[in-house]
Amino acid sequence: MELLLTNLAHGFGVALSFQNLTFALLGALIGTAIGVLPGIGPVATISLLLPITFGLPATTAIIMLAGIFYGAQYGGSTTAILLNLPGEVSSVVTTLEGYKMARNGRAGAALATAAIGSFFAGTVGTVLVAASGPLLTQVALSFGPADYFSLMLLGLIIASVLAQGSVVKAIGMVVFGVALGLVGTDVQTGQQRFTFGIPELSDGIGFVPVAMGMFGIAEIVLNLERPEARSVLTNKVGSLWLTKEEFRRATPAVLRGTVVGSFLGILPGGGASLAAFGSYMMERKMSKGRDQFGSGAIEGVAGPEAANNAAAQTSFIPLLTLGIPSNAVMALMVGALIIQGIQPGPRMVEAQPDLFWGLIASMWVGNLMLLVINLPMIGMWVKLLQVPYKYLYPAILVFCSIGVYSLNNNVFDVYMTVLFSVFGYMCNKLRLEAAPLLIGFVLGPMMEEHLRRAMLLSRGDVMVFLQRPISATMLAIGFIALALMLLPSLRKGKDKALAE
Amino acid sequence: MSNVVARRGVLATSVFAPHVLRAQGWPSQTIRLVVPYAPGGTTDLMARLVSQPLAERLGVAITIENRPGAGATVGSLAVAQAAPDGHTLLMSNIASHGIGPSLYPNIRYDAVRDFSHIALITENPSVFVANPRAGITSLAELAQRHRASSGGLDMATSGAGSSNHMLVVLMGRALGRDINHIPFRGAGPAMTAVIAGQVPLMSDSLPSAASHLRAGSVVGVAMSSAQRHPAFPAIPTFREQGHDIVGTGWFGLSGPAGMAASVVDHINREVRAILATAEQQARFAELGGTPGRLSAAEYTDYVRREVEYWAPVVRASGAQPD
Amino acid sequence: MKINEKDLMSGLFLILIAAVGLWLNQEHTLGSARRMGPGYMPLMVFWLQIGLGAIVLLASIFSDGEKLTRWTSAEIASFVGGIAVGTAVWWVLKSTGGFFGQTYNAVGTGMLAGFLVLSIPQGWRILGVINAAMCLFGLLLEKMGFFAALVGIIVLSCLAEREHLKKPVGILGCTVFLLVMCWFVFIKQLDIRVNLWPQL
Repeated sequence: MELLLTNLAHGFGVALSFQNLTFALLGALIGTAIGVLPGIGPVATISLLLPITFGLPATTAIIMLAGIFYGAQYGGSTTAILLNLPGEVSSVVTTLEGYKMARNGRAGAALATAAIGSFFAGTVGTVLVAASGPLLTQVALSFGPADYFSLMLLGLIIASVLAQGSVVKAIGMVVFGVALGLVGTDVQTGQQRFTFGIPELSDGIGFVPVAMGMFGIAEIVLNLERPEARSVLTNKVGSLWLTKEEFRRATPAVLRGTVVGSFLGILPGGGASLAAFGSYMMERKMSKGRDQFGSGAIEGVAGPEAANNAAAQTSFIPLLTLGIPSNAVMALMVGALIIQGIQPGPRMVEAQPDLFWGLIASMWVGNLMLLVINLPMIGMWVKLLQVPYKYLYPAILVFCSIGVYSLNNNVFDVYMTVLFSVFGYMCNKLRLEAAPLLIGFVLGPMMEEHLRRAMLLSRGDVMVFLQRPISATMLAIGFIALALMLLPSLRKGKDKALAE
Repeated sequence: MSNVVARRGVLATSVFAPHVLRAQGWPSQTIRLVVPYAPGGTTDLMARLVSQPLAERLGVAITIENRPGAGATVGSLAVAQAAPDGHTLLMSNIASHGIGPSLYPNIRYDAVRDFSHIALITENPSVFVANPRAGITSLAELAQRHRASSGGLDMATSGAGSSNHMLVVLMGRALGRDINHIPFRGAGPAMTAVIAGQVPLMSDSLPSAASHLRAGSVVGVAMSSAQRHPAFPAIPTFREQGHDIVGTGWFGLSGPAGMAASVVDHINREVRAILATAEQQARFAELGGTPGRLSAAEYTDYVRREVEYWAPVVRASGAQPD
Repeated sequence: MKINEKDLMSGLFLILIAAVGLWLNQEHTLGSARRMGPGYMPLMVFWLQIGLGAIVLLASIFSDGEKLTRWTSAEIASFVGGIAVGTAVWWVLKSTGGFFGQTYNAVGTGMLAGFLVLSIPQGWRILGVINAAMCLFGLLLEKMGFFAALVGIIVLSCLAEREHLKKPVGILGCTVFLLVMCWFVFIKQLDIRVNLWPQL
């Protein structure tokens, strides 16, 4: 404990130097800006900025890149709440309650909750990384392919909780999402599946074209079709700050979200992407405001945002203790380190104490900065909603188009977005929901990968899923969740059938 | 907000070169270097390491454009179709120009004829590594364990169709029994599984395995280079252990077919000069790569031989899309 | 008997897609449970989807009637016409060389034409125009440059809104503002890789 404090003190010494503070701030600002722009993600930005980091000391460079990473997370929830534009998986969940809150005139409260919840979760996450990184690594390593498969399956089952309406239709959409995720090169054999000979499809359908099309563009069309709906959007702004009641409801949600997110973030095999909606499911079932879900419940913003940010922090653990990046942004950070002549790896703590502890301290500093930057900006963001919709929608459309194009510098993605916007429009008319589909789309390929790997390693023995305690527990929870979900709707159906 | 963006404008410049007097004609504008992989990978890294000094020497900016997709063939196709004016270049590599032509039957370019191959940048061997608790430190032990176990040994790689996968296939053929190939999505997850002990062995390219070998979280079993690698002299080669398997990954610089010979030679000269500097030599040694020394004609020939070498191996591997 | 039309269509949709998927999946090897082939997972997923679709379909017959809006004959005509015209344009252009032979320009032109036909009747106007605008952006961007593509998408998408048609000066202001803003954000700051001006 004492050692930890000494190390942290050392870390803060590094992080609070004028140069490092400046670059942490810069990174946070850049990250926020790109997070707000739909389609432009941290990966593209960091790769653009890499040449600049050549000239900086390694610690400063990494601190700035980490700042971009967090900043993008903060910025992403802004567009999700204000414009129903999710740029990544976690923001899909934020759109569900956040955008509804914005339509109810509570955009300010939603943004403030997201910022404060994220800051709190970020703080807890940072402490966890510093205090028990190596210990938590062991947790991550104890998850085998069978366990990951069961975790993903559990995730898919609870994804249908995202449903606002019929559970069966939602499960149908989850399964269809999984099917969409199958498009592309089969990881095991390298065979092309459902690609129709189109080379761009060999890496699968992109997440951003699907999300932008089904949420962003389809929403524009629907808003334009209902002039009465957009006047709600522009006229009601409401108080910017949280009411006492909202604060009281958001606090436990943030706490629960932090716990869920911190745990899932450790798992490099896809845990972090489960964090936000794992928390959403929990709030929907457990929180006091569960009746308001679907019409703008603050718990549905507070919990997932906290979970997401906690996971963002703890997902650094595999990188820092094993030298293995758990996502594309971290792969780029490793690249930046190698260019600097530092080989990240298990020995980084001893070999580069400045870098290691400086980064951990600056994680917290970066989160604090984001809070300070973002809270005053809420007023400005909410003002954005007062721009008449007839001027706002061409801007959204243009930003989405450029963003989607710049993903791969390929117009193919623009046309994919168009197709998914039509599909999203159709789904809206049929009351098929897009959110469960997106979750299935993201988790499906991971689930298949882990399933096939588990079966390869177990020589085809299905019992492996029940023999491993972690896996068996996950499956049991999933089974109970499914039963709880289906029973009420079955009973309701029976009552109705009887009444006829 | 505007401040935010304004500041990053100062930063978001490409690799700027000092103003140097340049020759007539070429290079007359920014050079676009297409990396057919996502940012952060080894190819991306190599491109960035080389493009900075190259930009200084040529006196123009070089911007890196990541165009990932389909085992590096999407970005390669884009360059094959670009104007051969010397302002669009490609990081050619073993996936797009060695294995890819045999792996993707409906590939839309010819790896040799549709490109002006300019210079080999680096070659790096692959290495078989094992979890220290697996008790496998040599190919003899590997072979013995492989025969003894009822289901055979498992070996992880960064993905199906990679050169690392091909080495697993070659090794299985040499032992007379297929090794269970466990493909992962990238080297990171595969290495995690090996360190955790879920899979005992992995075939990995040296640059990505280097830090784990140094830290002792995995042990080296065999190196796929012809001679022992200077950075890891303790790891014996496949040949030394009685198996004639040699296969190295490589990256180079190429452009569209039909580039002027003077431009090709100019770039080749500059790249070789850069690779010969002590700074780059040290950087490459640390990463486990060997800097290339080939002329443009030699590199073209090198690519041709690679395509021929991998074709039968790819067929044997069963990694055949469609 | 009242039928929930939305659920009926949803169920049919899920079943139809899954059936097509199963048909396409025939070319993939199934493999064994131990070494699952590329076709194993799709097979399971599509059958599950058919099952769920069937439940939705059956349930729709026993639940309250949620009606879909009826399509007018003009809407049906433009829907079918849009698909036909789009496919025809694509079919003709894809074999011609030059501009339409490159990247996805033939597909994009086909989609643009299809959406424009779709947008003729009132009910499809907004859906057609917004998507046509995005297609126009994709078509213009690489050949005609960033600014031309922006003008195209902004002007066309503004036509989706009645108020702009009454006061076209709004379109002009909107275009100029967005051109400057996008240039500043994407070109000046983010430095994305794209041609600014026509490549002739």
